[in-house]
Amino acid sequence: MIFLAKVSEIPEGERKLVKVNGVDVVVFRQDGRFHALNNACPHRQGPLSRGTVEAAADGSGCFVRCPMHGWKFDLATGDSHGRPANATVYALDRRGEELYIES
Amino acid sequence: MGDEDNMSIRMEQIQPIIDREYAYLMAEHARWSLTKGDQDLELVAHALRVLLHMETVPQHPDEYLALVECQHQDGGWGKMSSEKQSAAWVTAFCALMLIRGNLALKHPRITESVRKCVRYFLETQKEDGKWSDPSWADLDAVSHPISFFDVLMALSPTVPTLVDAATMAKVKDSWRKGMAFMLERQAADGGWYDPEFHPTGVEITAHLIQDSIVADMVLTDEFNVRNCCRKGVRKLLSVQAADGSWDDENVDHTMDCTRSIMLVCSILGTRAQCDPAIMRGLAWILKHKCEQGWPDFPGMETNLERTCDGLDTLLKYQAYSRPETAAIVKLWGYAE
Repeated sequence: MIFLAKVSEIPEGERKLVKVNGVDVVVFRQDGRFHALNNACPHRQGPLSRGTVEAAADGSGCFVRCPMHGWKFDLATGDSHGRPANATVYALDRRGEELYIES
Repeated sequence: MGDEDNMSIRMEQIQPIIDREYAYLMAEHARWSLTKGDQDLELVAHALRVLLHMETVPQHPDEYLALVECQHQDGGWGKMSSEKQSAAWVTAFCALMLIRGNLALKHPRITESVRKCVRYFLETQKEDGKWSDPSWADLDAVSHPISFFDVLMALSPTVPTLVDAATMAKVKDSWRKGMAFMLERQAADGGWYDPEFHPTGVEITAHLIQDSIVADMVLTDEFNVRNCCRKGVRKLLSVQAADGSWDDENVDHTMDCTRSIMLVCSILGTRAQCDPAIMRGLAWILKHKCEQGWPDFPGMETNLERTCDGLDTLLKYQAYSRPETAAIVKLWGYAE
């Protein structure tokens, strides 16, 4: 397991960018839950860490919208709402006040 | 850089940056050249545009011929050069680079490739005038083929053998339908929006005003194009941040807006109104470049595609600074 961040480093509604084995991973804290995604949008590699987080209209969760060309991804699953590729989501492990992902 | 400095960006400042960044792009040749293997074609097209505007195309015919090599039978290209499925956006970008590059190269295989591109767009246009691409908003997907047809029509007097008269008539009809699709979707505030892809409307508005302005040069004013473009520019000026950037410090979108306003205000004759915004945009772009190249956002690592955009922006600013409007129009391929 690789240490990502302390829970206290990511206030509700915020995100933190972490480099893991050379890959940029962005960790979002939204509605009390943490989500880790590859920071590069699969469209044109725009930084999801600069994206806006919005609630899905049907109340099914939240998505992040890439700031470059607007692709949006479900924070929990990475689903791209019908675009040709999804975002990569990493399984998070919370151990007390610390967050980890698998190496 | 203070406001007073923003207004005085001199050519002596710009040229050394262009020289250094071009040398950097050439040093990174293996990362973008099709002669080195499979590549992301949008990056390739960005790099070929730099060659065009640096006027170094004659030294690099292999780069353009390699693009012809990976064209599909239907006339299109995919996102990657190895990809078999054609897509409208990237096909239009490749087509633009070939038609413009061939002004210098005059190669029969490139001419034939451009003809295949024309057929691709004529055959894939939808009934309502748009082209579709799952990776892009409809307004994005329509703007690039329109831009290709803009150039095709602008160059037809220079290269009359490129397409026959019957094909050119079809192109004009297709272009008119695509142009109508675009212009009819402009919002009352002058912007173009797509709730899925472009809620702020900044990037798409920058693209569409530069595509639309050509209609003013070609058509009678049936679409009221000048007014559409004036409103589009006003919209962009109204959402520029005080620091000179657009869209929350988005380097790509700031470059898009700066370049597009330079072209459109040159043609509309509204440079005096737009100069301060252009200078602020340019100063911001220069301030946030990396040691080599440009990032997607300030503080990030260099991105090669953005570096091509940065070079293109500086080259267009050089052209904009010349007294004759044709100098900048030429860098969109709308004039030889």
